Amino acid sequence: MGLLGLARLIIWRTLQAILVIFFIIVLNFIIISTAPGDPVQFVAGDIAISSPDVVEYLRHRWGLDRPLYERLFIYLSNVLRGDLGYSYRYSEPVVDLILERLPVTLTLTVVSNLLAFSAGIVLGIYAARRMGRKADNLITTANMFLWSVPSFWLGIVLMMIFGVQLKLLPVSGLMDVRNPKEGFWLYLDIAYHSILPIATLTMITLPLYFKIVRDTVIQQASEDYVHTYRAIGFSEDEIYRRVIFRNSILPPITVFAIHMGFSVAGAALIENVFGWPGIGRLLLDSIRTRDYPVIMGIYLIVASSVVVANLITDLIYMRLDPRARIQKG
Amino acid sequence: MPGKRIKGSGVLYISISMLFVIAMAMMPQTYSQAQGALAPISCPRIGGTLVVIHWGDPKSFNPDSQVDDALFAIASQIYNKLVDLDVNYNVIPELASSWEVAPNGSTFIFHLVKNVRWHDGYPFTSADVKYTLEAIKKYKGVMYGFLKMDKLVSVDTPDNYTVIVRYSEPFPAFLGFLAWYGTFILPEHIFNKTEYKDWMDPSIPALTKPVGTGPFRFVEYVKGDHVTLEANPDYFKGRPCIDRVVFKIVPDATSALQSFLAGEGDWLTNPPPPSEIPRINSTPGLIVNIRPVPSRWYIAFNLLNPLLSDIRIRLAIAYAINTSEIVEKALNGYGYPARGMYTPVISWAFNPNASLPSYDPAKAEALLDELGFKKGPDGFRYTPNGSRLVLRFTIFQGAQTEAIAAVIKEQLKRVGIDVKIEEYEIAAWENKVVKQRDYDLAMLDGFQGPDPDNMRSRFGPGAYLNMANYSNPEFGRLLDQAASEPDPAKRAQLYWKAQEIMAKDLPYLPIVDLVAFFIYRTEWHGFYWQLPGVAGLNVLERVWWDKGRPAVTSPQTTSPAQATTTIIATMTQAISSPTSVISPGGVATTSPPAQFGGVSIGVIIAVIAVILVAVLAALLFRRRGGASGTS
Repeated sequence: MGLLGLARLIIWRTLQAILVIFFIIVLNFIIISTAPGDPVQFVAGDIAISSPDVVEYLRHRWGLDRPLYERLFIYLSNVLRGDLGYSYRYSEPVVDLILERLPVTLTLTVVSNLLAFSAGIVLGIYAARRMGRKADNLITTANMFLWSVPSFWLGIVLMMIFGVQLKLLPVSGLMDVRNPKEGFWLYLDIAYHSILPIATLTMITLPLYFKIVRDTVIQQASEDYVHTYRAIGFSEDEIYRRVIFRNSILPPITVFAIHMGFSVAGAALIENVFGWPGIGRLLLDSIRTRDYPVIMGIYLIVASSVVVANLITDLIYMRLDPRARIQKG
Repeated sequence: MPGKRIKGSGVLYISISMLFVIAMAMMPQTYSQAQGALAPISCPRIGGTLVVIHWGDPKSFNPDSQVDDALFAIASQIYNKLVDLDVNYNVIPELASSWEVAPNGSTFIFHLVKNVRWHDGYPFTSADVKYTLEAIKKYKGVMYGFLKMDKLVSVDTPDNYTVIVRYSEPFPAFLGFLAWYGTFILPEHIFNKTEYKDWMDPSIPALTKPVGTGPFRFVEYVKGDHVTLEANPDYFKGRPCIDRVVFKIVPDATSALQSFLAGEGDWLTNPPPPSEIPRINSTPGLIVNIRPVPSRWYIAFNLLNPLLSDIRIRLAIAYAINTSEIVEKALNGYGYPARGMYTPVISWAFNPNASLPSYDPAKAEALLDELGFKKGPDGFRYTPNGSRLVLRFTIFQGAQTEAIAAVIKEQLKRVGIDVKIEEYEIAAWENKVVKQRDYDLAMLDGFQGPDPDNMRSRFGPGAYLNMANYSNPEFGRLLDQAASEPDPAKRAQLYWKAQEIMAKDLPYLPIVDLVAFFIYRTEWHGFYWQLPGVAGLNVLERVWWDKGRPAVTSPQTTSPAQATTTIIATMTQAISSPTSVISPGGVATTSPPAQFGGVSIGVIIAVIAVILVAVLAALLFRRRGGASGTS
C-alpha cells in the first residue's frame, strides 16, 4: 500500500469517525433531554423551596422553554463552533469544566493503564510459561479475585489498610490541605496522594491484560511454527522473546488503545472514593443533577477520543502486523 | 449530591425555628440586641487550621442565587446576613445591630453596624443591603418565594446605616426567612455594574473570588478538592481565633469517614451511617454531639385513589405503623417517633393536642374488617371482589428511605396489607409522585422551618409539593390567615387549629423526627452548636484550638496587610504556576519543607516505584522494537 493509499484510508476513516460522532451527539441530545427529571428543579434546588417564578426564570435563561428540535439545532451549530455550552449548575463554560479536570483524570487513568498493561504482559507471559504450576495458579487466582471485586470496595479496603491503620498513605484528596506545599513539593504531594487511587485502578485493570496475554501466549506456544523453531534448536528464552512475545502483543495493544480512548472518561467510582476531582466524578455529579450541557460535553469528548483511539489502533496494527496492511490495501 | 440531601438536608444544615423570631418581630418596639452575638470575639488560644470534611462542591460563589447547600457552610464564613439564626433557631443580630417592626407588621427598619469593611477594604453601607434585596427580587434569588418578593414595595436607605423595608402586607415570617438562607449581603460596589447581565454574569470577579464582610477571607478554591479561607483580621467582631479554615471536599460518605479517622479532618459534616456513630464516639479524641432538628420523614396518602380517600384505611395504616420500631430498626435509635402534625422543635407552633393515632394493630384490623377487606389463607386481605389489597409504596433511593420502607412493609403485612415497594432515582420519583401523582403511598423527608409558613408549601391546597392532593378549604384558609397575622399569639393559635384539622383528616402521616450529628475532634472548641445566642448557624468565627498559641502573646491581630490572596481556579493552573498555592503572609503555621520530612519515606518509595515501573514499561517497548527490527 502506497503513501497515497494510506492517506486515502485515513481520510475515509476520519469521515466515518465524524459521522459516528455526529450521530452520537444527536442521540445523546435526544436521550438526555427526554430523560425524567427537570434540570431546573435540580438547580433551583429543594422542591419545597423553589417558587414557580424562579423555575420559569431559569427555564427561560437556559432556553429550555424552546422546542426540542430547535434546541438540538442550536446545540449542533454551537458544537460546530467549538462551543459546548454553559453548565447549568456552575454557570461556567463546559469546555473549561472539562479541561481543568482533564490533567487530574489523565494522571490516574493513563498511568494506571500503562502500569496494568506492562504488569499484565509480564505476569501473563510468566504465568503462561509456568502453565499449571503453582506460580501460575497463584497468579491466575489472584487475578480472578481482582477481576471480580468492585473497584470502590477495593479502594476502600486499601484506604483502610494503608491510610487508616498503617498511616502510610493519605486517604483522600489531591493534596495535603492542612500543610499546603509549594512548587516541586506540591507535585510530589500530588504524586503521593495519587498512589492509592492509581494502585487501585491498576489492580482493577490488570486482570484484563493478564488474561489476554496468558491465553494468547499459551495458544501461540502450541503452534507449529514454534515447534519448528524448537526443532531448529532455538533456546526456549529466545523463542519466547523473539517469536511468541511479538505475536502475543497485538491483542493487549488493542485493548490498551481502546482503554486509552476511554481514559478521558475518567474512573468515576475511584475518583469518587478517593475524592479526586476528575472527569468521572464530574460526569457522575452532572447526571445526578441533570446538568445536560456537561453530560453531553463529556459524552462527546469520550466518544471522540474512543473513535480516535480506534483509528490509532488500526494504524498501529498496520505497522505491526503485515497482514492488516495487505487486507486493507 | 445524594438524593436524600436534595429533599432533606438543605435543611439539616439550616435547621431553624421561629420561637423568638416571631416574638421579637411582632412587637412594635425597637430591639437592640445586648446579648452575645455582637460581643467581640475572645480567644482562649490563637492559631491553627480547622479542616472541615465537606460533602460537595459549591455551585458558584453567589450564595443568594440558588439552593446551594455545599456553598452555605462556606458562605457563612465569608459573608454576613443582616440577621442570623443561632442553634436554637432564635434570630440574632449580625450586620443589623437592631431593628424595629412597625405596628402594621409590614414595615421593617434595620440599624446597621458601623465601621464594617468588605474584605477589599471598601466600607459596608446600607447601599449593599438595598442592592442585595433588590437583586433577590430582580434576579429571582433562591428566597424569592419565601421572602414574598412580589409583595416587596421598597427598600429605602435614609442614611448609610439605616435600611427601611416596606411590604404591601403584613409579613410576620420576614425576619425568620431573612435570617435563614440565600440572604447573604453582597458587595454592591462589585456586583452592581451596568456591563453585567445579571448577578451570575461570569465576568463578575466576586463569583470566582468572593468578597464578603465575614470572619474569614477567601484564599483559594481547587475545584473538587478544597476551599481555603483565612482569618479576617479586620472582622468587625474581632479577629477569629483560628488562622485558617479548609473545606476538604470528599463526596463519598464512606471515604469521608475514613479520611476523618485517618486524621485528615477535624470536623466531619458528611454524615456516616448511624451504625457508625457509637464506634466514632468511643474513639479517643473524637466526639459526636446529637441535636434534634426540625426535619422529619412523613408518608403521603394519594387521596386521588378512591381507596385511600377513605379516612378509615388511612387510620388503619396509622394504627398499624409502629414508629418506635422504625426508629430502632431503621435509624439505629437516632431519631424521635413523630408526635404530631408539625415538628416539635419549632415549639411555639407545635400543637401537642393534634396527636397521631398511637400504635394499635388490633384497631387497624378492626377498621380493615369494617371496610370489608377479609383476610385470606395467606394472611393478606382481599377486597370484596376477590383481589388482594395491594398498595404501591413509592420511595426514592437512599439508605434511610429503604430501611424505613422495609420496616413499614413488614408492619403493614402484619395486618394483612400487601405493600409493594417501588424505588426510583430522585428525579424519576419526583416526576412520578409529585408531578404525575401516580402512587399510593409515598415517603418524603424535609425541613419544616424556619417558619410554620412552610406548611403552606408542603400541605396547602394546590401546592406543588402537596402530593397527597389534600384540599380542605378550612385548613387552607387558616394557613393563609396565619401567614399575614402580625400578632404572634393569634398566629400560633391559627397554626394550632390547622394542625388539629390536619390530624383529623390525616392526609399525611408523620413518622420520624430527625436528629443532626456533629462529629469532630475534641481538641476543637467554640463551635456554633455550643454557643447559642452568640454564634450563627455554621459560623466558625469563635472556634479555637487546644494546640494554638496562648492568646496573650499573640500580636497577630495587628497585621493590617491587605490580603494578597491567590486563587487556583483550575488544576491546570495549579500545575503551571505552583507557587500560587500558598497564600503569602504569615498565616501558615509550619514551613512546608519541615513538614515534608514527616512523609518523606513514603513519598520517596512512591516516586521510586513509579519511576521503576515507567522504566520497565519503556524497556518492554524497546525490546519489542528491537525484536521487530531483527525478525
